[in-house]
Amino acid sequence: MRHPQTVIVTGAGGVGKTTISAATAVRLARPDRRTLVMTVDPARRLADALDLRALSNEPSPVPGIGGLWAATLDVTASWEAVIQRYSDPDVADRLLENPYFRAIADRFPAAQSFAAAETMATLVESGTWDAIVVDTPPSAGGLDFFLAPSHTADLVGGKLLHWITGAQLPGRRFLYRFTGRPILRIADTVLGGPLLEDVAEFLLDLRTMYDRLAERAATIQRHQRRAATVVVTTADPAPLAEVLRFFEELTEVAVHPDAVILNRALPVAWVDAAARPLRGLSDDPALRAALKANLARWGGEARRQAKALEGLAGRYGVPLLTVPWVAEPPTSVESLSWLLDDVANLDAVIAGD
Amino acid sequence: MLDRRLLLVSGKGGVGKSAIAAALAIVAARQGRRVLALAMTEETGLAAHLGVDALPYEPVGIRPGLSGAAIERSAALDEYLKLQLRVPTALPTGQLSRALSVLVDTAPGIREIITMGKPIYEVWRGHWDLVVADAPPLGQLQSYLDAPKTITGLVPTGTVREQAARLARTLADPHESALLLITTPEELSVLETREATAAIDEERSVLIAGIWANRVIDPLDVPSTRIEGLPDSPARSAALLHSGLASAQAPWLEAIPGDPRIPFLFGVRTPAEVSARLADLCEECV
Repeated sequence: MRHPQTVIVTGAGGVGKTTISAATAVRLARPDRRTLVMTVDPARRLADALDLRALSNEPSPVPGIGGLWAATLDVTASWEAVIQRYSDPDVADRLLENPYFRAIADRFPAAQSFAAAETMATLVESGTWDAIVVDTPPSAGGLDFFLAPSHTADLVGGKLLHWITGAQLPGRRFLYRFTGRPILRIADTVLGGPLLEDVAEFLLDLRTMYDRLAERAATIQRHQRRAATVVVTTADPAPLAEVLRFFEELTEVAVHPDAVILNRALPVAWVDAAARPLRGLSDDPALRAALKANLARWGGEARRQAKALEGLAGRYGVPLLTVPWVAEPPTSVESLSWLLDDVANLDAVIAGD
Repeated sequence: MLDRRLLLVSGKGGVGKSAIAAALAIVAARQGRRVLALAMTEETGLAAHLGVDALPYEPVGIRPGLSGAAIERSAALDEYLKLQLRVPTALPTGQLSRALSVLVDTAPGIREIITMGKPIYEVWRGHWDLVVADAPPLGQLQSYLDAPKTITGLVPTGTVREQAARLARTLADPHESALLLITTPEELSVLETREATAAIDEERSVLIAGIWANRVIDPLDVPSTRIEGLPDSPARSAALLHSGLASAQAPWLEAIPGDPRIPFLFGVRTPAEVSARLADLCEECV
């Protein structure tokens, strides 16, 4: 099978991941290179630019850019597809009707990440695409996207049922007698019997999927390792802390990011410029004073950014690419295509070189 | 804002809710109240804004009048079982909560009620005049606020149900508890805040005491046409960026009701410096 060029765009929430993903896809797309960007929760104006009208895993063509398609992750649909594909038909029906299925698909941050990872794998295997750019859910600074496949398999593996029944997969009748164990009698008092039984029954059904899901998790992780991974951040302390954590914990799944993209970067030149007198700018003293005061505070912010990045540049042996701070986030495919124009090395990074 | 017993502070991820929660706790302590700043998530944002490396589960003093703590899931479950539900301790609690942790992860509402229970339990304990809770981010907040109702819907009888009802009463009492929402004047944050506000008002789970705009960039006193005519230079670029950001924020600011508007802090380095500056600014807003 010929694998498409795949780029995973990850990072904390609010750093501009979705915009960077879209801009990367705009860069890759050509009439003879079918390119898909899979977004997560795009801002309205970005969704409009990509002509995305509703949550759907079904790609639709982006007007104005030949070869570019876009979709928005639909977590519930992804999970329904997983259950249809990896469980027996009668179990699938029961699971989809169980109230816990909805609760779990909707609420678990890791469930959203698993849906994104599984959907990426399905797209990679579809043979339809030459290039795929995947925006990732912000859960755990993007880490969950890489960890969720194995964690989900573990959960489905049924720690709870192991604990209740031992290693054997129990029959349903056994399950109803489980309150015979003292620890469960307490759980039963605390949580209420029906709740405990409902949850256990749900997990028992899920557990029948374990073997197939564990195998699938391994496949998803192979696709993830083959892709180019870029971590997006800003110079703010919270997302920077997430980047450090990301690098430390990613070794667990043998994924190595190919670049860090610093979004909303200010020119380093502002730091020195703010300290020098303004010359030849304007004869109006009031205007000069206003501009000088403004440059002073932005110079201060540029200096803060530079300091904050000292610990990051080159630390993990990956390039740090900077995307300048622009006043208006790009809201058209044209502005998306300019956003990354001056980002040196980006094309080499996403090609996986 | 600081007159009740519990103030929950939430907002979309990355809008500065932990910084403002820390700042408000600092302000209340300066005013002579006994304050607990409590992190309801396991992130370290609140700790950094209080100027400490990490916060333990049991409250520790940080400065006169101000203590800090953070939720730690297994400890919270232990406490919930032991103190709030009065579970008989024939079994070592560690074993029970380890076993139950799988259920906590799976059954809807259980994890949330344990997390939601902690700040309210601290209010009931009576050691504090005010508990300022750095609440879960806006996207998850709803399931925490609704947890007592979820539980009473799932569990027909028993201690858990009674406890959930009691939590819900304290949370919904406008004299005891309130929620402060933080947003930045940007599309995603404002729209998410608006949706959450409508849903919370409908459920009446807690009183929304305010919606504050953070990182506001005030327009320059210079028309942008005059800036555009200037020769290319850092001063011109910085002025264009500033004016552009201010006008991009303007429509979203209009969509947020009233005051206060907390300005973008230029060049402030550490989280502790940020919250100290915010505390000075907030002294006037509360």
